Amino acid sequence: MRRLLTALIALAVQFAPPLHAAAPGVTENRIRIATIQDLSGPIAMLGAPIRDGIVMRLDEENERGGVHGRRLAIAVEDSGYDPKKAILATRRLLGSGEVFAFLGNLGTPVVMATMPLIVDAGLPHLFPFSPHQATYAPTHPLKYQLFAPYRDYMDAAVRYMLQEKGYRRVGLLYQDDDYGLEVMRGVEAGLASQGLELVERTGYKRGATDYASQIARLRAAGCDLVVLATVVRETVAAMREARKVGWAVDMLVTASGYSAQTHELGGEAVEGLYGVSVMPHPYADAAEGDLYDWIQRYRTRYDADPNVWSAMGYDVADTFIQGLRAAGRDLDAASFSAALGQLKTTPGFLGGPTYQFSPDDHLGNRRGRMARIVSGRWQLVSDYLD
Amino acid sequence: MIRGLAGLALFALAVAGGGWGHALAQVALVATWALAGLGLVLVVGQTGQLSLGHGAMLALGAYVQAGLVAAGLPALLALPVAAAAGAALGLLASLPGRRLGGLAFGMSTLAFALIVEELLVRLAPWTGGAAGQVVPAFTVGPWRLSSPVAQAALSVAVLTLAWLACRRLIGSALGRAWRASRDNEAAAMAIGVDVGAVRQAAFVAGGALGALAGALSAHWLGYLSPEQFGLGLSFELLMMVFVGGVRTPSGALLGGVVMVALPQLIAIARGALPVLGGGAAGLEVLLFGAVLVVIVLARPAGLAGDGR
Repeated sequence: MRRLLTALIALAVQFAPPLHAAAPGVTENRIRIATIQDLSGPIAMLGAPIRDGIVMRLDEENERGGVHGRRLAIAVEDSGYDPKKAILATRRLLGSGEVFAFLGNLGTPVVMATMPLIVDAGLPHLFPFSPHQATYAPTHPLKYQLFAPYRDYMDAAVRYMLQEKGYRRVGLLYQDDDYGLEVMRGVEAGLASQGLELVERTGYKRGATDYASQIARLRAAGCDLVVLATVVRETVAAMREARKVGWAVDMLVTASGYSAQTHELGGEAVEGLYGVSVMPHPYADAAEGDLYDWIQRYRTRYDADPNVWSAMGYDVADTFIQGLRAAGRDLDAASFSAALGQLKTTPGFLGGPTYQFSPDDHLGNRRGRMARIVSGRWQLVSDYLD
Repeated sequence: MIRGLAGLALFALAVAGGGWGHALAQVALVATWALAGLGLVLVVGQTGQLSLGHGAMLALGAYVQAGLVAAGLPALLALPVAAAAGAALGLLASLPGRRLGGLAFGMSTLAFALIVEELLVRLAPWTGGAAGQVVPAFTVGPWRLSSPVAQAALSVAVLTLAWLACRRLIGSALGRAWRASRDNEAAAMAIGVDVGAVRQAAFVAGGALGALAGALSAHWLGYLSPEQFGLGLSFELLMMVFVGGVRTPSGALLGGVVMVALPQLIAIARGALPVLGGGAAGLEVLLFGAVLVVIVLARPAGLAGDGR
């Protein structure tokens, strides 16, 4: 009987929570976080490099001994861009009680479905890859975001093009979805600041391949600048079409078209294209110093060249680590959120922006930079625009 | 009996692998998906019509539910309205069946789904357009059903009611007419079955069930956007009932378990056995595909089928 009692007590002690219950996922020598990526769905080509960038930054920190003596571990879940799977993965991670925060979740449907669960469980929801405003506004102590809606970047970019380059007749080619509409609002805001309006706007369905009628319409309107709310393939196709019909108009693409693939696929046709850059593309052959070393390490580790998404993943993890450092050794969601709410990051060798939060603004950055394709590669042509 | 035990074992595995919240959230999603599957069992399994656009029924249910709840109607009262809207949409989708048969009709349901998806984008003032809309939690009086246990309870309750209704329909004269028109259209007509009308009835019932599932899932997922209701969803639902067994209601449930729980089991196994390649992208999809192939090869009539 006594032996049974001892065994029961031993069992109870085994499973009882520790007396000083720390934050979930945080132990004496480890912090465990999670990320929900798309590794098998329609935007897996974004998810894989984002994951690689995040994991690489965390491992580097571990090699230096971790943050305040704690090593960093991450659980990577694949949602396949399916909110149903994402919810189950989130519940599973929450149920384990071993996750301190969610970092860099990818995809608006996934983010919007899982964010309420994460925040209700009292965990920080950090820097998701979704331009949805709900990720930072209204201000919530557990929601922080690094990436602004397209509207903010495009507003500033269009103002720059009007003021610095003197364009007056601006037209828009936009993808017929939320992305295209967001961009349209930004472009209209930028134009309105100079007392102008769009002279022409024309849409296309996602996946369209022929832009002859759209380009003809924009040309007939006499545009001197065409803004492209397109992704890579459409950017190339639209510009090719314009050049094919002998129209040498200048074009400006959003951050979605700012990709090395744009000039790799577009070649001559996309020469001179302006783009908005939030994070500069890490070109290997032009890199020096720390950036060069980073690219080499990335190549060795993943057997692939890093792209702008790898850089963003790395930046997301770096910002998280700067937040952890500021929060100190005594770590829980409240102390972390308080520290993050005052954080101003030091930009690293990747050339990303400075992220700055305040207690009532949890969006770290609203500014992008102008870039232009010159001799087959993106070159930055402005500093971060206000 | 064996199936019940297997279900319990699966549930225990889910609890062990991810806790109660995770296991119950799975129950809610399995039940909701099975509800949608029931509709396909009636249309495809019982009546023998090819429906490639069942996702449209879920879409309508989800958006009607979200719209009504946003307008202030209690969620429980909105559910029957969403189901009625789904029934009406089912009727509409079945109209080409008066003239077309077989594959041609299947194509018309496909076109139907595309039109509905497009409308969700175009009718932005009501649907939120491509930017999507947030759906509040399901509330019953003072209770907010945001916990997994409440969501599971409601889903299972609705599924049970729908299940009983389906069993009744299948056993009724209408059910016999469905099967007669499926097995031999000419013979059915010869004995006085109005084949067009009974097929429409199947679509009406299937549409209502699909819309019910859509309405519930809108609350469980909390966010609606048209891209979630693309053709991918219609094909996923079709695959689900074929894996489970398209001719009987239990096929919908088994299919739901396979589609929702299997990827989770694989994810848990991957976490527990690093040998499976902790971070390898696409591994889960590969394993999932392999299991589906095995199921289809071993049980061509689905898990609930008779093995032939």
